[in-house]
Amino acid sequence: MQIQLNGKTIELDIDPTMPLLWAIRDEIGLTGTKFGCGQGLCGACTVHLNGEAIRSCITPVASVEGQAITTIEGLADGDELHPLQKSWIEHNVPQCGYCQPGQLMSASALLAKNARPNDSDIDTAMAGNICRCGTYPRIKAAIKSAAGLNQAATDLAYEAKV
Amino acid sequence: MNDQHDQNTVALAKQLGQISATRRQLLSSTVTATGAWSLGLSLTACGVFQRQAVDGAGNWKADAWLEIQPDNTILFTLDRVEMGQGTYTGLTTLLAEELGAEPEQIEVKFAPAAKEYRNPDYGMQLTGGSNSLSTSWWPLRHTGAAAREMLLAAAAEVFQVPSVYLRAESGHIVHPASGKKLSFGSLIRLAAKQDVPDEPSLTSADKFKYIGKPGKRLDSLQKVKGSAVYGIDSNVAGSRYAVVTRSPYIGASLKSSNADEIAQLDTVEQVVEIKTGVAIVATSYWAARQAQQKLETEWAREAEAPKNTQQVFELYKRRADEDEGDSIRSDGDLEKTIKNSNKVLEREYEAPFLAHATMEPMNCTAHVQKDRADIWTSTQAPDLAQVVVAKVTDLSLDEVFIHNQFIGGGFGRRLTQDFIGEAAEISYKTGLPIKLVWSREEDTQNDLYRPASYHRIRASFDSAGQLSGWDHQIVCPKIMDWYVWDAAPAMFPWAPKFMYKMLGHAGLMTEGTPMTPADRSPYEGAENLPYDIPAVEVRHTKADAGVPVTFWRSVGHSHNAFVTEGFIDELAHEAGQDTYAFRAGLLSNSPRLKRVLDLAAEKGAWGRTTEEGVFQGIAAHISFGTYVAQLVELKIEHGEIKVSKVVCAVDCGTVVNPDIVRMQMESGVIFGITAALYGEITIENGQIQQSNFHDYQLLRMNQCPVIETHIVDSDASPTGVGEPGLPPVAPAMASAVFAATGKRLRRLPLRLA
Repeated sequence: MQIQLNGKTIELDIDPTMPLLWAIRDEIGLTGTKFGCGQGLCGACTVHLNGEAIRSCITPVASVEGQAITTIEGLADGDELHPLQKSWIEHNVPQCGYCQPGQLMSASALLAKNARPNDSDIDTAMAGNICRCGTYPRIKAAIKSAAGLNQAATDLAYEAKV
Repeated sequence: MNDQHDQNTVALAKQLGQISATRRQLLSSTVTATGAWSLGLSLTACGVFQRQAVDGAGNWKADAWLEIQPDNTILFTLDRVEMGQGTYTGLTTLLAEELGAEPEQIEVKFAPAAKEYRNPDYGMQLTGGSNSLSTSWWPLRHTGAAAREMLLAAAAEVFQVPSVYLRAESGHIVHPASGKKLSFGSLIRLAAKQDVPDEPSLTSADKFKYIGKPGKRLDSLQKVKGSAVYGIDSNVAGSRYAVVTRSPYIGASLKSSNADEIAQLDTVEQVVEIKTGVAIVATSYWAARQAQQKLETEWAREAEAPKNTQQVFELYKRRADEDEGDSIRSDGDLEKTIKNSNKVLEREYEAPFLAHATMEPMNCTAHVQKDRADIWTSTQAPDLAQVVVAKVTDLSLDEVFIHNQFIGGGFGRRLTQDFIGEAAEISYKTGLPIKLVWSREEDTQNDLYRPASYHRIRASFDSAGQLSGWDHQIVCPKIMDWYVWDAAPAMFPWAPKFMYKMLGHAGLMTEGTPMTPADRSPYEGAENLPYDIPAVEVRHTKADAGVPVTFWRSVGHSHNAFVTEGFIDELAHEAGQDTYAFRAGLLSNSPRLKRVLDLAAEKGAWGRTTEEGVFQGIAAHISFGTYVAQLVELKIEHGEIKVSKVVCAVDCGTVVNPDIVRMQMESGVIFGITAALYGEITIENGQIQQSNFHDYQLLRMNQCPVIETHIVDSDASPTGVGEPGLPPVAPAMASAVFAATGKRLRRLPLRLA
């Protein structure tokens, strides 16, 4: 079967029931997409299917045959980082970093549809992505600055030393 | 994954082992006396710098941490793992500051297992206990400063000017008067021949360019691009995938299985029995998982294994009755104080078992061959990983090469190396390179848990209404009983394998003597109760129900702070005082704790008129040398606790990167709220009940409060931040819940009904 991955046509000769996650990681060899729970509960495996955020760990590869998949490796435009990736660096978002590809894929799917999300839009879009290190306040701030929304001090206080 | 380099480093470690001062000697002497420090320094310098001429490839390996190459590549070998807490950035900053390079110019690689990378506080190469920064503060700055002075001396020869006229800047030595500059790389041949400075001058704090500044994390770019390599991303040519079916019961062993049938499946390569269960090996992870569903196993259960959670706490209570425990702290005459008191309050507190739930499940890629084993993984303790591999193979420790990667969350889980032993055993038995990946369910149910604990605590007030006595009995297991078996051999790497068990027993027998440090995990955070109370007893009664346990973020502090601060809150109420003022009035002996408490109260506007339904709580705690206070605001919505805001004040001494301090406070707070609201591992019919994120919940973005962090300006020695943000949040929440409902919650997680 074929899938379109990050703009390239990929031929796969694998068990059609294999979740897309393992096809991407083990068969195609792109390891940016992460395994976290295998049940669609944590969002670490999030990729885009025709622009929508989906959980690749519970998506059989056969069900996406011929369709366009984007992974974290395809988020930047060549060497030019996606605005969210830049914002993530600017806000010092990643800690262990393991969940961040999934967080970025959920956030980029949100902004593609809703360029000026409010807090509740962000919460709704991001509630499926768990971060054990607790980077949520920074993720929220980074999404807002990437969207050009004024980052209010109430969200994340960066105060001077006392 | 440069094997040759790893081998060289190990060989170097052996060669230098006899003469180089360990970092422990260096550090401890640094702290105590300058004279002793320079001795330690010159030993290290002799042992490392003077022997390091530029090698055949033209590279200068100045010492175990720093290597400079002719093209001006500056390589730093990071020996404290990066698992989110920020060592990759923080420790690189220390080296960069003294060397005269920008942190971004330095290439970081992860250390192999080798003697000079041991953590001086433990005598093992492990990252934990929030001490990476404190133990690296002097050694890494010294390395950078010594190399800088040698590069300056080399450039002075070239430029024919005294080195005082030269500066190290951005990886170059510059001569400002003439505008000339030379890269470090072009100077290394000459630099390596210079005298090693006995006491290189360290940069004074007012001249710091990078330390104390909010620099960006150096690992962010790879982490946002998805190119950072974690253990689970290791890809070794020819490797097969393995999954293991383990006992569903705690402490059971395999009786029988249909492994032979499974081995016949077309999709399966081999099935092997290992110590922990049955391993299925296939060419894809998915194929191995599919085959695993057809595997049938029977298990022989141990009679003594715990049947359910209730039994564990019954054991704890029985032990509390029959054994008053080891005295950990004894101030004043408690019995007399209680007898003469006006009022005594007596309470029980409980904390459950907790799983670590790192986002990256346990995994390991192992290739065991006749004369060596290569291990690609994410571990907090590379030399303990060598031990577990040696145990299941014919190899000795120095034949085991650990290729450590970025770590997708540690929190103590990866201090225990069970998953590495499994992968090595499967590789050894199949003769194949093996990639073992645990499922989330396996990760949750085969964890080594934060120990559950039970506490009896009482306090007395004298006739003047002053707090006069405090008696805290802690009942829980000792982590060392579980950890010593791999740790002791790692500390004595020369010991033959038949001695491993003996070493473990010796470690347990000598615990608390100068030979083996005491396991403080049961009572840390309780023994150093900071409040002014004339009579204080802290006791530990050991009770181990047979549930596997290990270190969990902030370890003993994670439950003891809940108990001590929760009880202080009760005592304040009993005394009819404001809970913040009550604490503040008892902190004359701990001014640094009082300062953060005051700061949290001030910045969080303690006692403010809150919006309808919002209640405040407060708590303060010292852990790992760091002082943290937190003011929590929460609401009760539809019978559930919703934390809306946390104001955190922290004093961690000298700050290397203030934004990493903030990140770690936010991280600790969210980890702590997760535990306080949801965290509980339970046992029923001898089985762990939780399995995945639906029944072992973690806080999500929509439940996350606003978190403000305020850092106290300090020039005290730097202390850690990875764990100290966690302990105060649960008792601060309990304090606010009491304010909201009048209910005292003395058991974690906090449940209103």
